[in-house]
Amino acid sequence: MEEDEFFGEKTFQHYCAEFIKHSQKIGDGWEWRASKDCSDGYMCKTHFQVKNGTAMSHQGTSAHVQTFLPVEEAVDPPLDDFEVTETTTAAEVIKYEYHVLYSCSYQVPVLYFRASFLDGRPLALKDIWEGVHECYKMRLLQGPWDTITQQEHPILGQPFFVLHPCKTSEFLIPVLKNSRKINRNVNYITSWLSMVGPAVGLNLPLSYATAASQEEGNVSGQDSSIEQKSLEEH
Amino acid sequence: MTDDKDVLRDVWFGRIPTCFTLYQDEITEREAEPYYLLLPRVSYLTLVTDKVKKHFQKVMRQEDISEIWFEYEGTPLKWHYPIGLLFDLLASSSALPWNITVHFKSFPEKDLLHCPSKDVIEAHFMSCVKEADALKHKSQVINEMQKKDHKQLWMGLQNDRFDQFWAINRKLMEYPAEENGFRYIPFRIYQTTTERPFIQKLFRPVSTDGQLHTLGDLLKEVCPSAVAPEVPNTVLPGEAKIEPTFEPSRIAGGRKASLAVKCWASQGPSRVFIARKKFHWFRTKLKQQVFRAGVQKFQL
Repeated sequence: MEEDEFFGEKTFQHYCAEFIKHSQKIGDGWEWRASKDCSDGYMCKTHFQVKNGTAMSHQGTSAHVQTFLPVEEAVDPPLDDFEVTETTTAAEVIKYEYHVLYSCSYQVPVLYFRASFLDGRPLALKDIWEGVHECYKMRLLQGPWDTITQQEHPILGQPFFVLHPCKTSEFLIPVLKNSRKINRNVNYITSWLSMVGPAVGLNLPLSYATAASQEEGNVSGQDSSIEQKSLEEH
Repeated sequence: MTDDKDVLRDVWFGRIPTCFTLYQDEITEREAEPYYLLLPRVSYLTLVTDKVKKHFQKVMRQEDISEIWFEYEGTPLKWHYPIGLLFDLLASSSALPWNITVHFKSFPEKDLLHCPSKDVIEAHFMSCVKEADALKHKSQVINEMQKKDHKQLWMGLQNDRFDQFWAINRKLMEYPAEENGFRYIPFRIYQTTTERPFIQKLFRPVSTDGQLHTLGDLLKEVCPSAVAPEVPNTVLPGEAKIEPTFEPSRIAGGRKASLAVKCWASQGPSRVFIARKKFHWFRTKLKQQVFRAGVQKFQL
């Protein structure tokens, strides 16, 4: 129906397919999910992570020691006698889901994500923030993407967090213009996801960058150095 | 747009009589009476139910109260959908008043977005307006506006001020004289029968050969299952069938549009039903589409 613009939906689906091919090669877990009527779909990945600092392990022989002493009686236990033993529930495993959808209104990809404990309890945004490295927090607050808000997933109808897409083309177009100038093909999904993903705990192995240039039949000695530079500028 | 003013006012001032009842398992210090309210179709539940919240919180202890949420016949109500849409989708075939159950605990995290403050509603509303303008004008009109204009749109909605709202919104409904309409028509089609929350696609107001698109063209293109094949005099038992006969009419733009919808219903011709399909027009100037309590108004 529509001619493919710079980031048309067909282009989006093509680059997602290329991206997934590489993901399959390296076992990175991305897959395509078509909507029930198959008119469109999205790319998704689930990964699990143990939450830092909340799980403590049972060690030593003093399992009978109670950690929760009344305050008045609190005494620092001599550490070489026994290890801290806290009767924890299972270590906090968190399930992260990342979905890449296409916005036909803004004609750009959009990143949806959510996290929950194994029993289904969802993580609030502030909990997800805690898993993000400091430097990315700064970038997120200053960068060309506005905010993270909770929104309804347009295909599943469930609450997800979303990185607002309206400024995506602002930072994506220069990357693609640069690459076209030097006659290199770039998988814009790879470029885009490598820029926005880390801010929300999603990291891409570096091999995606070299794969993108190779898949399009480009043999370049300097490989991804120029592309990395464009990414760093943002 | 001046000739559309009547329809615009009808849409804006549409109301749904609603009865709010506290969920029976909520802990109360004494019996809670139901609370009646006329809800504006164009607004959002969490924006217009402060009085409902206060009324029920009077009989509850603070520790038993957390985020309010609403439910109809077991279905959590998405506050970020316009009230009229929720009603049309879920309750329009039931008798009035609309009976909504109020909850203060066990927030359904998997179904509903959180609504911690009015700012969240404002952000959602403005993001809808911006997305619509991205489709209509490549965001040029909304971006050229000052922050105070955006604020006026929101305040107009919040305070039920038609004139205040439309003073700004009319700019979002205009297009250059040389164009035939918007770049794309912002629309969403909601159905209870599908898993997908809504259908939204790019759709131009004018075809490649210069013909103005009609509502029927849109439906045939994006939601063909909603358009029954033309078989006259066939009545499906117990439900209404729609045979849309769409005269060539503009579905966007400042002219009068006409739309004729014939409907055979076993109950009789006095009410026109849209069998199981509810449409919500998302910021589109479709003056012929005024859905209210299951009854469609049309101009011939």
